[in-house]
Amino acid sequence: MKTALATEVHLKEPKALSGRIQWLRDYYFRGTERPWNNEFTCWTTGTPWDVIYNEMTFYIVPETYTLLNTLGASYLQAARPVSLHPDFWKWSLVERRAWFVKEAIVNCVPQEILPGDLLAGARFNIQTSMCFTKEESRAWQKLVKGKNGARAKMKWFHDHGYGNAGATSGHLIPGHERLLQIGWKGVHAELMSRYNALSSTERAASKGAQLRAMMTASTMARDLAGRYRSLCEDLAQKETDAVRAAELRTMAANLARVPWEPPTNFWEAVQALWINHMLVMTDENYPGAGVSFGRADQYLYPYYEKSLRDGMQRDWTKEILKCFWVHANTAYDAMIRNGNQGITAGFGQLITLSGLGADGRDMTNDLTYAILEVIDEMSPILEPKPNVRLHRNSPEELYDKIVDMIESSQGAPFLLNFDERSMAGMMLEARKAGLAHLIHEGNVHEYAPVGCLENTMVGNDRSGTVDNNLNLLKAVELALTGGKDLLPFYDPMTGKTEAILQDGPKTPDTASMQTWEEFWEAYATQTRYIIQKCVDLYETSESIRARFFPTPYLSCMVEGCAEQGMDVTQGGARISFTTLEAVTYATTVDSLLAVKYLVFDKKVCTLPELADALRANWKGHEVLQAMAKNRAPKYGRDDDEADALALRVMQLWCDETWRHQTRSTGRRYRPGMLSWNYWAGDGYIMAASADGRTKGQFLSNAICPSNGADTHGPTANANSVGKVLGGKAKDGRGDWLDYLNVLPNGASHTITFNPSILRDPVHKDKFKAFLKGYTLNGGTALQINMLDPGMLKDAQDHPENYRHLLVRITGYNAYFTTVGRELQNEVIERVSHRQF
Amino acid sequence: MTHAEAKQGRILQILRMSTEDGPGIRTSVFFKGCPLGCLWCHNPESISPKPQIQWLKTSCIGCGLCVETCPEKALEKTPDGIVINRLVCTGCGLCTEECPTTAMELLGRKWSVPDLVRELVKDRVYFDESGGGVTLSGGEAALQHEFCLPLLKELRAKGISTALDTCGQAPQKTLAALLPYVDVLLYDLKEIDPEKHKRFTGADNAKILENAVFAARFKKTHPYPKTLWIRTPVIPGATDTPENIAGIGRFIREHLEGAVDRWELCAFNHLCRDKYKRLGLNWAFAGAQPVEKSLMESLAKVAKGAAPETNVCWSGATRLAKSAESKEPAEKPNKRQPACAG
Repeated sequence: MKTALATEVHLKEPKALSGRIQWLRDYYFRGTERPWNNEFTCWTTGTPWDVIYNEMTFYIVPETYTLLNTLGASYLQAARPVSLHPDFWKWSLVERRAWFVKEAIVNCVPQEILPGDLLAGARFNIQTSMCFTKEESRAWQKLVKGKNGARAKMKWFHDHGYGNAGATSGHLIPGHERLLQIGWKGVHAELMSRYNALSSTERAASKGAQLRAMMTASTMARDLAGRYRSLCEDLAQKETDAVRAAELRTMAANLARVPWEPPTNFWEAVQALWINHMLVMTDENYPGAGVSFGRADQYLYPYYEKSLRDGMQRDWTKEILKCFWVHANTAYDAMIRNGNQGITAGFGQLITLSGLGADGRDMTNDLTYAILEVIDEMSPILEPKPNVRLHRNSPEELYDKIVDMIESSQGAPFLLNFDERSMAGMMLEARKAGLAHLIHEGNVHEYAPVGCLENTMVGNDRSGTVDNNLNLLKAVELALTGGKDLLPFYDPMTGKTEAILQDGPKTPDTASMQTWEEFWEAYATQTRYIIQKCVDLYETSESIRARFFPTPYLSCMVEGCAEQGMDVTQGGARISFTTLEAVTYATTVDSLLAVKYLVFDKKVCTLPELADALRANWKGHEVLQAMAKNRAPKYGRDDDEADALALRVMQLWCDETWRHQTRSTGRRYRPGMLSWNYWAGDGYIMAASADGRTKGQFLSNAICPSNGADTHGPTANANSVGKVLGGKAKDGRGDWLDYLNVLPNGASHTITFNPSILRDPVHKDKFKAFLKGYTLNGGTALQINMLDPGMLKDAQDHPENYRHLLVRITGYNAYFTTVGRELQNEVIERVSHRQF
Repeated sequence: MTHAEAKQGRILQILRMSTEDGPGIRTSVFFKGCPLGCLWCHNPESISPKPQIQWLKTSCIGCGLCVETCPEKALEKTPDGIVINRLVCTGCGLCTEECPTTAMELLGRKWSVPDLVRELVKDRVYFDESGGGVTLSGGEAALQHEFCLPLLKELRAKGISTALDTCGQAPQKTLAALLPYVDVLLYDLKEIDPEKHKRFTGADNAKILENAVFAARFKKTHPYPKTLWIRTPVIPGATDTPENIAGIGRFIREHLEGAVDRWELCAFNHLCRDKYKRLGLNWAFAGAQPVEKSLMESLAKVAKGAAPETNVCWSGATRLAKSAESKEPAEKPNKRQPACAG
């Protein structure tokens, strides 16, 4: 039925695009209807035991679990054989892999240039043979798919609500700046001299094999560029349009130089960057999962500045960048026919802009603004995902630009990263792991985020930022039961229900607990247990990857690998952490707060009664559930008492996380807080929780307060987040200035604002002031969303989930759910039309 | 602890990141109790100085604990929900303590100065970055001046900018005591005609006008308040006449000249309609719609004409320009009235 609520929402439209870019963008969005796409092509050695598809890369993507066999089998069926080098089977695995990937992308995958495109490098999504011998294949099959193999362990862990873990790809910033400075030629020469310096024993061992493989990989970009150069020359000859022919000739000239030689201008630099980047995705057989660019506005600036000086028009630099933007989006073509959901909905090639430099200088430059303009003009578009670094002295002009973009996009088309808090975390990491020679006051500003928001250093750092995702809430469940699942696991695939077994440590019977501290101790014991369990699970895939899935091309781009003759997958990066991401933080804190409130403070129920209510999914316990939801304190309201417990939860799992490292690769664990989409999906797996949540409701997202708990507005929300990260040092001596941050990886924080906050210049200034306040009091990263009509309509249907929702219509604030239906409809209409 | 510090205030609500109650980002404290009773009041729950109970239908799960708890038997569970017998209810709040969902809500909680200050300093960095601070609003904060004075002093001592949002209906000596601790004075002039003023608000405007003159002079002769904003609610069928606006403008020009930093016309808002229902009150404006944008613009012109030296602006939601069915393009948000056009 069409009602007055069927209002059209005003979506951001791209603007100021040239005919060329408009066509490329439109073409891209035709999706599966395009004659050309960048879908995976598959390549096999042709052996009957071949394996294509390293499924462990997807263990952190629960949506794909039921597809693992199908994907593996179909890639194999679709694979075309590659004629192997006569010596292929004499080589080590890493050398086979280096040669095979290069052979596939240079000599098997076709090269194409789209009409009008200014950059070469189109198809890069491939699934290649893992190049196993028969023995290797058998060993891998057993380790991965055997009865107690990696897959079975991973599935048990996930089915029982612990979370997930797996050695996945990407999630780092390769050394792009160095690559541009010395070209692959320089990299190759360096590898050669390192190899020549090896003794004959070393050459015969793994170090020699690794360096030989890397030398092969280091010519991949050169040879591919050569192919594209010929293609551009051919196209230029056939081209009837003189302008386009000239463009193609310039592209051919660019490719004759880069990425083998260092670029001499902006166009060459962007061309080199694109090929260098896309081949990482080729090498890893994974499209762009957090393969990030780092501070592109900094390392591209010298080329930009020179080209402008040499007469290149600023608009032309943007035209080149816009082509780059289109290319980055073709990562999504990998599984284009699966539709855009799950993993195919976010590849996270993060690009970082602005931020601090040495001596507290702000590094915003004209290229920062040019790139922001490109984003603004291309939006809505997904990749590369922009990240703007703010700090206490970010320029007013930058604030103005980003606030305007947030207003026109109705939500930020970029993530904001906050330097001081982030850098404090990086300094802590250096201190904890004895890396002060690699991360220190003089260079910590060079950090940049990868993937979604995970902070790392650049060009020498792989810190496995999404490899371990643990539901902290599981420890509350185990503390309530003395180490058992609350509910038996029912497998919908087999129709069987498993018996509940003693799994975690047998902490004391809750009936005997007299004090809150006793319960806390049980929670702490179970937290230690679940972290150990996650570490053990991760070890399985980490050790298999280190043995079977080298990425020699990527290793060339990460400092430490060549020096040690060790692949990046074996821990070759100079900074090589793996990150334990805590999921369900606020749900965990709120559940503990509710246990304390209901059982020990108000004494309205006993611990066993509470556990019974959770087993019953609160059915028949509605009053208790309502008290848990509405009366118990919550994290995220700037309530010092509640936030103190939140800090205690934070400290416990951080301290415990730092104690671990991978056995096979020696990578130390560091803590972070990112929960991608797990907080939604795992809400259907985990039993009801003491905070009043029923099974099937979402868990809390990353470091955000629980859904609906944020009743005190954005400033209170931000203050709570800053506090649990450590706040400021009382003596002024934090890890960066007076800032503390217990999560070096950073923490994902999202706040939804009323669009009326941006309705006029005075209010925009207030919003800017909020962001400036966030640099002082808030977290490491912030995503800004705007309230939209859809959310308000959902609030009409489910008021219980939206009691925090304050609508602000000029001069008047009201909790949306307390306003009658008729006026709610009017509010929705005002939000739809931005009439406040 | 002095007597004044031990005093408690009755507070309706503390609203953080308020962007509508003065300059910058503010925390607004809404006091309970008002000497006026404006027919259009947006916060009818703020008028009575006594604590009141309200019941929120959307939050209730129907457990009936409130009915069992009430010592006065003032509550009844009916098919339509909980009915409060307001003649019997003493506002003791016991039901609100038992209610598991907070559907039963106590309006007007007691706060001590130290507890309130602890809450109000939490957003200091946002105040500092935005030129904001704390606004005492209501109700009428000046009615609880014995509480407000130590509160304002304490905020001043902590370096936090303060605003007092007042209807002006207070003894002059109360204002004289508070004003030295007020950075921004938000002063309402609603209706220039004393008869109408009495009809609309329950009191004539003699004291209000007299206090306005006093406050303006105080501002000129003392370091505080530093800023004075006059605010006039534009209420359909009441204060929305050109005569009224011109009259207030003349008064500003003749009596407050040079002291007023901004005169803001605030458009009527009807979002409070359901509050009246919850309090069991009839509302004279229940059927009224937001005013037309053209009216606000023409009244702003009238205001400017009457007080040409004063910075005039208008704010607030106006009637939606069109219904959703029509296909006219929506207004661009930036094309709206700038916040101040003086």
